[in-house]
Amino acid sequence: MAKENNQAISQKPAGAMKHILSFVFMIAFTAAAFFVVISDKVPSGWVVPLLLIFAVIQVILQLFTFMHLDQKGSAFYTIFIVFGIFVAVISAVGILLM
Amino acid sequence: MGTLIVILVLVLFLAAIFTGGYNKQFQERVRKSRTWDWLTTVDHKKIGILYLMAGLVFFIIGGIEATFMRLQLFVPGNDLFVGRTFNELLTMHGTTMIFLAAMPMIFALMNAVVPLQIGARDVAFPFVNALGFWLFFSGGLLLNLSWIFGGAPDAGWTSYTGLALNQYSPGPGVDFYVLGLQIAGIGTLIGGLNFLVTVINLRAPGMTFLRLPLFTWTAFVTSGLILFAFPALTVALLMLMFDRLFGANFFDYTMGGSTVIWEHLFWIFGHPEVYIVILPAFGVMSDVISTFSKKRLFGYNSMVFATVLIGFLGFMVWVHHMFTVGLGPISNSVFAVATMAIAVPTGIKVFNWLFTMWGGEIQFKTPMLWAVGFIPTFVMGGMTGVMLALPPADFQYQDSYFVVAHFHYVLVGGTVFGLFAGIYYWWPKMFGKLLNETLGKWHFWTFLIGFHLTFFPQHFLGLFGMPRRVFTYQTNVGLEKLNELSSIGVAGMVIGTILFLINIIYTLRKGKKAKADAWELGRTLEWSIPSPPPEYNFAQTPLVRGFDALWVEKEAGNKSMTPAEPLGSIHMPSPSYIPILMSLGFFVAGFGFIVRGIPAAAIGLIIVVVSLFLRSFDYDKGYHVEPEDPEKGGKE
Repeated sequence: MAKENNQAISQKPAGAMKHILSFVFMIAFTAAAFFVVISDKVPSGWVVPLLLIFAVIQVILQLFTFMHLDQKGSAFYTIFIVFGIFVAVISAVGILLM
Repeated sequence: MGTLIVILVLVLFLAAIFTGGYNKQFQERVRKSRTWDWLTTVDHKKIGILYLMAGLVFFIIGGIEATFMRLQLFVPGNDLFVGRTFNELLTMHGTTMIFLAAMPMIFALMNAVVPLQIGARDVAFPFVNALGFWLFFSGGLLLNLSWIFGGAPDAGWTSYTGLALNQYSPGPGVDFYVLGLQIAGIGTLIGGLNFLVTVINLRAPGMTFLRLPLFTWTAFVTSGLILFAFPALTVALLMLMFDRLFGANFFDYTMGGSTVIWEHLFWIFGHPEVYIVILPAFGVMSDVISTFSKKRLFGYNSMVFATVLIGFLGFMVWVHHMFTVGLGPISNSVFAVATMAIAVPTGIKVFNWLFTMWGGEIQFKTPMLWAVGFIPTFVMGGMTGVMLALPPADFQYQDSYFVVAHFHYVLVGGTVFGLFAGIYYWWPKMFGKLLNETLGKWHFWTFLIGFHLTFFPQHFLGLFGMPRRVFTYQTNVGLEKLNELSSIGVAGMVIGTILFLINIIYTLRKGKKAKADAWELGRTLEWSIPSPPPEYNFAQTPLVRGFDALWVEKEAGNKSMTPAEPLGSIHMPSPSYIPILMSLGFFVAGFGFIVRGIPAAAIGLIIVVVSLFLRSFDYDKGYHVEPEDPEKGGKE
């Protein structure tokens, strides 16, 4: 237990930096999403795909930095989340495209 | 209004009686009775026994339905059960056997064995475990009540909406299917979740993932499949419920809906479901074969790999149930290839079982007989499976008795044989007494011969053009002899099952007491503790020092496992009446929706919410027990 605490303290500066960086990125992506919708420079056919891409990147950032999926001991959560997404995508593709 | 007052008064009376406001002594007597103990138990061993008994009852009901169908098909042009009655029989046979017989018996073995095999004192969520059982039971009961209240569902166990919507199947039959399965499904889902957490978090020190006994591995993968497959069924059933009860149009093509969506959703659930019921049977086989061959399981790592791979591939093959829907050649080819790929890990397993037996000191006790009978039977089912996986050939086989023969070879020859092997193998651990060997062997041989006599001719009936789900056939088209043989074969399975029931009663009365290591060949942790185990399972958590933990200690000359902790008082969860109360609420709500009585449904849901409330403010922290010291004259 003590060991874990020490690790947490020693990782703090790097962790804080990472959190701030991800936060900035997320703000940037949100702003970009707004820009894509408002601006007329982006062709209208691109809007939805771009928004989806931004959303996926944000979800990944959210899960890994703020939901702590990058830390040790979360292998099972990652496996189950990834497999759940995988099953959902396969099912959706199967129903919609096939 | 009058009914409502009567119900209210009755509820108040019952509340007065059970809370002790009316008679304290009566309340005391109820609380100390054995019935109350079983109704409120959260002990995984007792819940395992409850699952087993409920599963057996439903297995017998499903078997009676099957016998009726074969009686009808005994001679051409028979008029014993025709038309709608026959449709009800075939629907209820399929639904009962899959959801109410195979699933609970699998949960019975998982409950009885998994915590013992990983060296745990209980499952991760004992309360949820009890709730899972009672939800399954009330769902199953609701489904079977349909026989009495207005007719059973008659749209097939797949309930394709071209048959199941109001205009095609009037009456409450399909509503019973929808709500009964919905309630039972919630129970199964939380049961699966519970075992995932149990295996991940409660393993004894040293019990790494690659030291788990294979039954625990398959139980783990099965629970994962339940977690990902059942939500699809939940969604499908909810949509069908809205279509039938509230006039929605998800599946009505005249209103812009699509029946194909139901088929997709049902099979996205349905295909993983068949792996949910077969994988634990594989696990039982692996444990039984290695125990009675007195050998380490051949190719353990490849067995684990094959199990996980089957679970993984199980999610991308569902369209092979829909080849003839007309989704196009690309879709059909993709899913055909994925389906045939599953034969590879399954083949790995079959060869590993054969190599485990190769050169072993084989003892043909009853569980081993079931395991050895399982291998060729299941391989035959697998072979016809690969034949059906080819879309061009499938267009010929579809909807014929060939399909019926195929899935009975894998479901009976695979799952049921596996369950019987598991029940004979772990019965001494569950009940403390060995099932009778002679009766067990008679059971095996009558059932095996009856099974093959029933289902082998059905392959040819299918190839000769007999469609499935049809209640009669004509003379002089070459179907009489094989149908007659098939119906005679049922007698073998009926006699076998009766022998099994006699065996259970005989054993409970006069059976031989089992030792801790009941078969004297035990390799895994469950055989290191008394039969039946004390309520806390392990007086001291064992230290696991290798695969086949008990065998490792036996080879090192130790009589028991090395403990990983000092002897001390053990924390146990308190029994709870909330699971059964909440299930009662769901039952009432389900019944209310079926009879279109919204007030009754509301009362049921209020009971559910009240029990959720009670559970949220339940500050009962459980109790402690002092274990008997095994070295100071405790149980062996």
